[in-house]
Amino acid sequence: MFKSILILMLLSLFMGIAAWLIFIWAVKKGEFDDLEGPKYRMLEDDPEPPATEKEDDH
Amino acid sequence: MNLPETCIHCNLPIPSSGRVVDRSGDEELHFCCQGCCGAYLIITGAGLDSFYKKRTWETPGIPESAFATIYNDEYLAAFTTDLDDGREISFIISGIRCAACIWLIESILGKRTGIEEATVNYGTHRGRVRFDPAQTSPSLIFKAISRLGYGPKPFTQDEARLIQEQESRSLLIRFGTAAFLSMQLMAYSIALYGGYFSGMDQETRQLMQYFAAVVATPVVFFSGAPFLHGAWRSIVNRAPNMDLLIALGVLAAYVYSLGALVLGREVFFETSAMIITLILLGRIFENNARKKAHSGIDKLLRLAPDTARLISGDETIVVTSSQLQVGDTILVGPGDRLPVDGLLLDQETEVDESVLTGEAEPVLKQVDDILLSGSLNVATAVRVQVTQPAGSSFMARITRMIEEAQSRKAPVQGLADRVAGKFIPAVILMALATAGYWSLHSDNLVIPLLHGISVLVVACPCALGLATPTAILVATGVAASHGILFRGGDTLEAAARLTVVGFDKTGTLTEPFPQVVALAAVDGDNQALLAIAARAETGSSHPLARGILAKAQQEGIRTAEGGGTIIAGKGVRLETNETSILVGSRIFMGENNITLPKAAKATAFTEVFIAEDGRYRGCIYLDSQLRAGAIAAVRKISRLGLKTFLLTGDHLLSAEKVAALATIDQYYGDMTPADKTTWVQNLREQQEVVLMVGDGVNDGPALSAASVGCAMGGGTDIALETSDLVLMHNDLMLLPEAIRLARQTLKIIRQNLFWAFSYNLVAIPLAASGHLAPVYAAAAMAASSVCVVANSLRLKSFRPGKAELNNETNTAKLSEMHV
Repeated sequence: MFKSILILMLLSLFMGIAAWLIFIWAVKKGEFDDLEGPKYRMLEDDPEPPATEKEDDH
Repeated sequence: MNLPETCIHCNLPIPSSGRVVDRSGDEELHFCCQGCCGAYLIITGAGLDSFYKKRTWETPGIPESAFATIYNDEYLAAFTTDLDDGREISFIISGIRCAACIWLIESILGKRTGIEEATVNYGTHRGRVRFDPAQTSPSLIFKAISRLGYGPKPFTQDEARLIQEQESRSLLIRFGTAAFLSMQLMAYSIALYGGYFSGMDQETRQLMQYFAAVVATPVVFFSGAPFLHGAWRSIVNRAPNMDLLIALGVLAAYVYSLGALVLGREVFFETSAMIITLILLGRIFENNARKKAHSGIDKLLRLAPDTARLISGDETIVVTSSQLQVGDTILVGPGDRLPVDGLLLDQETEVDESVLTGEAEPVLKQVDDILLSGSLNVATAVRVQVTQPAGSSFMARITRMIEEAQSRKAPVQGLADRVAGKFIPAVILMALATAGYWSLHSDNLVIPLLHGISVLVVACPCALGLATPTAILVATGVAASHGILFRGGDTLEAAARLTVVGFDKTGTLTEPFPQVVALAAVDGDNQALLAIAARAETGSSHPLARGILAKAQQEGIRTAEGGGTIIAGKGVRLETNETSILVGSRIFMGENNITLPKAAKATAFTEVFIAEDGRYRGCIYLDSQLRAGAIAAVRKISRLGLKTFLLTGDHLLSAEKVAALATIDQYYGDMTPADKTTWVQNLREQQEVVLMVGDGVNDGPALSAASVGCAMGGGTDIALETSDLVLMHNDLMLLPEAIRLARQTLKIIRQNLFWAFSYNLVAIPLAASGHLAPVYAAAAMAASSVCVVANSLRLKSFRPGKAELNNETNTAKLSEMHV
């Protein structure tokens, strides 16, 4: 009983720490710096941008 | 068959697959696309065929090659940073309009060889590219972006902004850490609570408690570090602050729990952790709101671009604006903003000064006119000679003024400051008293401690401290975006309490110089009369002369060089070989033995007599015109409940006329500048709050004597120096709007203060009587700060009401008077 509680508690703590580390990493990567732009990203299409043609002509 | 190779409309080569031929006319017309065909038909259909003959393909003045900006690798290298894997360059991109632009830039850059990662921030328009220096270079990256039609500019973080960004990041990390650990902590606490009621063996309970202590410690000492630091500083400086209250509350709960852990009693680590978590959450909200409040001004201040295109020889090189020196020539393309103030060199263009003046219409600028930094060139590419270095440009001066304004406190705030200073020691005493009282009425130490902590936390006067500055910050920002600059919080408050407005006449209510209303030539040839007068008056800066010259210019009369000799207070005499012209007053004519016809009747207008070769030729009548919007502005100000006065150095009669026209309550004529100052001082002694509006030139003392001084004249240096309230756009209608905004701001400040005080008034007794657990106290405290900031943000929605048809009412009224 005591042992299983200890294991479960440690497990939950490690899961929490894992989530926390991911969060820290995300903040450091600047994931929360731009809260405006990402919501428009879903509207962007994937096909080749027309401007790539210009890329070649130099 | 020999088909034309270029499109008739756009002159671009016609693609072999997409040729569009129109056969509706006599001849076949070839286009590159349906769009061009449509445009051609519309233009010719409207009878504007000559467009195709008139148009020229070169940009006049500047060779097109000048726009092939050279991005210098050596120069750009200063903006790159070394990373473990390659280099990184940061830049700001101008011309971004929507999220699609971000996508375009990112995907184009991402496809180039040598670029590892390209990100563009939509909010700040800032780009960051990580690249391999062996395969590509910053100049190639910049070229690729500029080929897409955007303007990349190298960018160095200024220190202050960098610090601010780091702070908000570290706040987020502290909050995130506190939130995650508090969640863990809550799980243990719930288990402990459960165990408290339904029983739990000693071993498990201790295990839970140790775990709780382990997760609570980083919350207190890492997440709570800013509070602990602040508290320590406040003790060292003997200036108790809000951090002290929070730190005391948190540490009391934490230290007690540690002791209880050793002694095997109940612990409440979650109290200290939750207090920190909630207050950090409040800070995050508050920071975001503050950023929002700042954004208006920030946008304004960042308008002057960091870089400029310096013309050196045949090339243009990109340099930082601060490198520009007086006398340098820079190229400003259409759609570019002026980085510095400068003299327009080649040709006229239109600039949009809306950010500086609030005036939406572009302004036509002639050669040799001064272009102001921050204004937007909308017409053609022009060369500009630098007249002011970046550090002392118009934009920089405005910036300094706004920054100064935001740091100047409103007197209202003094109350909050005084209270907050005495408040904190009082709260600590109250918390001790609460704990003492409850320890007499309970058998253990937990309840008194918890109630004492509640008092400490809930009484934090954060909201009180935020009430005034946030409102002032938002209000000055909103005002600036509408072309109204307040000198500071004190000016805002005074403007809100105004009771009396004093107007100067000439140049304030009326146009700076009188206008010609009628010409009366003896022989009936008014054009000739005007031409004679204008010839003599050329070069004179007397108001009457300027009126006559303006009329002549309007009529298309060209005046020769030269002009007459000015005889002060009387008129002008021009003697040449062929002719002798006299222009001046009735007395001047008498002195020169010109016989005038007897005046039929006295008029309210100013008369200027003209004589040529000793013969009387006729008379020009001039009159001061009211400024556009003057009537509407005065009405609006009266409707706001202010008394209006007209003060002028002119004759009482003309004061009376203008006062009647503009519906001003009272008027005084024949006033010297000193008289005006005394008038203002007298009113102020009678506890009136006086706004003095003048031109800032001869009524400077009166302006500074008034509670609020306002000089018309747009954003000129004189106006900036003499005014507390600056109207960037020469429009009287801004005045009532400024007063309205100031009143609204004061109202919001009062609401904030009322809210902050009453919150403490209600919350402290609740906490002291034990009705508020420390966790709720922390939540309430954070919520009250957020409420205050949100209330201040309401000012952002202020929209000045635009007055239409002032012009019509003005002229209509005047013509009635003339009849």
